[in-house]
Amino acid sequence: MPLRPAGQPGGGFGKLQLQFIRSKTFHWTAALAGLFAIFVTVLFAFIYFSIDSYLIARSDRAITTQAGFFAGLPRDRMISAIDDHLMQDSRGVQFAGVFDAKRDRLAGNIAALPDGVEVGAPARSAPLVSLDSRDAGATSVRTVARRLDNGDILVVGRNVDETAEVFKVVGAALALGLLPAFFLWLLAGAWLSARARRRVEEVNLRVQRIIAGHLRERLPHRDVDEPFSRLAAIVNGMLDELETTINALAGVGNDIAHDLRTPLTRARLTLERGRTNAATLEQLQEVVDKAIAGIDQSLSIVTALLRLAEIENSRRSSAFGDVALCEMLREVCDMYEPIAEDKQIALSVDISGKLSVRGDRDLLLEAVANLVDNAIKFTPRGGRVELALSRGQGETILRVTDTGAGISDQEREAVLRRFYRSDKIRNTPGFGLGLNLVSAIVKLHGFRLIIHPGPGGRVEIVCPDENSGQT
Amino acid sequence: MTKVLLIEDDNETAGEISAELADRGFEVEWSADGLDGLAKARDLRPDAMIVDRLLPGMDGLTVIESLRKDQVRTPVLVLSALGAVDDRVRGLRMGGDDYLTKPFAIVELVARIEALLRRPPETRETTLRVGPLELDLIERTVKRGDRKIDLLPREFRLLEYMMRRSDQLLTRAMLLEEVWNYKFVPATNLVDVHMGRVRHKVDGPGDIPMIHNVRGAGFILRAVS
Repeated sequence: MPLRPAGQPGGGFGKLQLQFIRSKTFHWTAALAGLFAIFVTVLFAFIYFSIDSYLIARSDRAITTQAGFFAGLPRDRMISAIDDHLMQDSRGVQFAGVFDAKRDRLAGNIAALPDGVEVGAPARSAPLVSLDSRDAGATSVRTVARRLDNGDILVVGRNVDETAEVFKVVGAALALGLLPAFFLWLLAGAWLSARARRRVEEVNLRVQRIIAGHLRERLPHRDVDEPFSRLAAIVNGMLDELETTINALAGVGNDIAHDLRTPLTRARLTLERGRTNAATLEQLQEVVDKAIAGIDQSLSIVTALLRLAEIENSRRSSAFGDVALCEMLREVCDMYEPIAEDKQIALSVDISGKLSVRGDRDLLLEAVANLVDNAIKFTPRGGRVELALSRGQGETILRVTDTGAGISDQEREAVLRRFYRSDKIRNTPGFGLGLNLVSAIVKLHGFRLIIHPGPGGRVEIVCPDENSGQT
Repeated sequence: MTKVLLIEDDNETAGEISAELADRGFEVEWSADGLDGLAKARDLRPDAMIVDRLLPGMDGLTVIESLRKDQVRTPVLVLSALGAVDDRVRGLRMGGDDYLTKPFAIVELVARIEALLRRPPETRETTLRVGPLELDLIERTVKRGDRKIDLLPREFRLLEYMMRRSDQLLTRAMLLEEVWNYKFVPATNLVDVHMGRVRHKVDGPGDIPMIHNVRGAGFILRAVS
C-alpha cells in the first residue's frame, strides 16, 4: 500500500468507508469465506446422499425379505398375513398387494398393479396409488414384485419418506450454520482490513512526522506478541539508534568546527600581526613558520578525521594475518621508551607466553601505540605505564595501565565520542581523536575496547578467539 | 640534469610543484592527463615521475602499470587523496616506488623524490662509512674516528638507515615508515626524541655536528671532512 502524505486520509468519508472492500486483507477473507461455504455445502450434500442411499438399501432389503416371506405362504394365509402387516403399519409407509393374472386386485392396499413394475426384478422405485389416499395420486415408492406359483402377482413396497426429512434437516442446518458463519466471516474480514488500514494510516502519519524532523516520534505498539506490534518495536529500536547517531553527528560537527577554528585563528592572528610588525626578513620568516605550524595542526585534524573514516569504512579483512602481539608490544615499548624516560615514567611490558591474534598488524600497532601515547601523555612525571598481555577465558587481553588520573565513570562513554577531550586534560596537547581511532580499529577486528574507571588509567583490548578474523 | 615528469591535472598544484622542483635544480616536464602523460613518459625517458592517482584520460595507477609492462622501471611517486589509499597504492612501496597523501608538505614531496632518485645501491659491503663515521653491520659496532659509540639496537637501526642515505633530507614520516615500520604519524614527536638520543651520541662535545635538523622538514646526516 503506497504511503500517502499525511493529512489526506483518502478524500471523503464514503470513500474511506468503502476502501476496506478494495483492500487485500478483505479480498483474502472473502475468498476464504467463499471456499469455506463451498466446502461445507459439499460436505452436507455428501452426508445427505450417504444417508439417503443407506436408507433406501435398508428398506430394499426389508421389502425383499417381506416379499419372500409372503410368497412362501398359501394364498389364504398370505392374504391375512398381508392384512396383518398393513394393520401394524401406523405411519402408512408400507405397501402390499396381490393381483391375479388378469391384473385384478385380490388383497392389499395398492389400488392397481402399476405399469412400471417388472416382475422378478430387484427393488426399484415405482409409482403406487394407495387405497387409503387414492385422491393424493401416485407416490414414488421402492417396490418389488414376485410371480407366485399360481400365477398371481405379489407386490411389496415401502415409501422411504425419511430421506425427505433428512433433506429438510440438512437444509435447515446448512441455513442455520453456514449463512451466519459466512456473513460473520465477511464481517471479520472487513473489520480486520479496516483495522490494518487504520494502523498503516497511523504509522504513515508518524513516519511523516519523523521525516519532517521530529526524531523523538515513535510508532505505536502494545506489548503483545503480534506481528504488527513486533514490527513497530523493531522499527522503534532502529529509530532510537538513529536518533543517538544523528545527535552524536551534530555534536561532532560542532567539535570539528571548534578544533579547526582554534589553530586557524591563531595562524591568522600571527600573520596579521607579523604583516604589521615584522621589520626584517628573519622576523617575517618566523611569523610564516608559526602560521604554517598552525595550518599544519588544522590539516592534521583533517587527516586524522579522514583516517578515522577510512578505518571505519574499510572492510579489508583480506589484509588480516596472524599478528604476534608480544613482538608488537615490545616494538611499541621500544618506540616509546625514550619519551617515557624523558618524563621519568617507568614503561614496562608484562607478557605471559607467546600470544597472537588474527588481524591487521599495521592497524593494531597503531591502536596500541595510540593507547601508550595517551597513557604517557596523561601520566604525571615519575609515574608508571604498564603494557600487559594475558589470556582470559577464550580470549586474549591486551591491557595498558597507567598511574595518571584515569577516566571517570561518566566520562567513559564520552571519551569515545569524536573530539572529546576531558576538561582536566584540555591543557595537554592532542586532538582527542586517539581513542576514537583505537575504538574504530578494535571494532573493525571484532574485538572489544574496555575502559576501566579511575583512579589510574586502565584500558583493555579484548580479542575473543572465535571472533578473530571476522569483521 | 635530472628530469622529472609530473602528471597532475590541477594547474595550481602542478605549478607549485614544478616551481619548487625547478628551484632545486630539476628539469620538470608537466602533463595534465593520463594518456598524454603516458606518451611523454615513453618519449622523454624521465629519471623519476610524480603521478596523481586520479587523472582524466587514464587513471594514474594504470599509467604506471602500462609503463611497467613495457619494462620501463622509472621510479614513481603517486599522489593520492587520503581516503583513496587502498591496497594497490600501498603496494607501491613494496615495488620500490612511493606514495604521498594529499594534502602534503612540499618538502616532504621533494625529500621523497630525492630518495627515489638516490636509492642506495645493493652492496656487499659490511661496513658503512660516512665521513669519520663507521658502522660495522656484522659486529654491530659504531665508531666516529677513534671514538667508540655505544648504541641501543633501535638507535643502531636509525643510524644505519641514515648512513645509507647520507646527505639526503629524511622526513619524520619517511623515518617512521622505514625505520620503525609505522604506517601512521603518532601524535607525539617520537622521531625527534629518538633522533636526539642518537645525535647526542654521534655528535659529541667538540665534534663538528653531522646530524642536522632541518626546521619543519626533517633530518640530514652530512659527511664532514
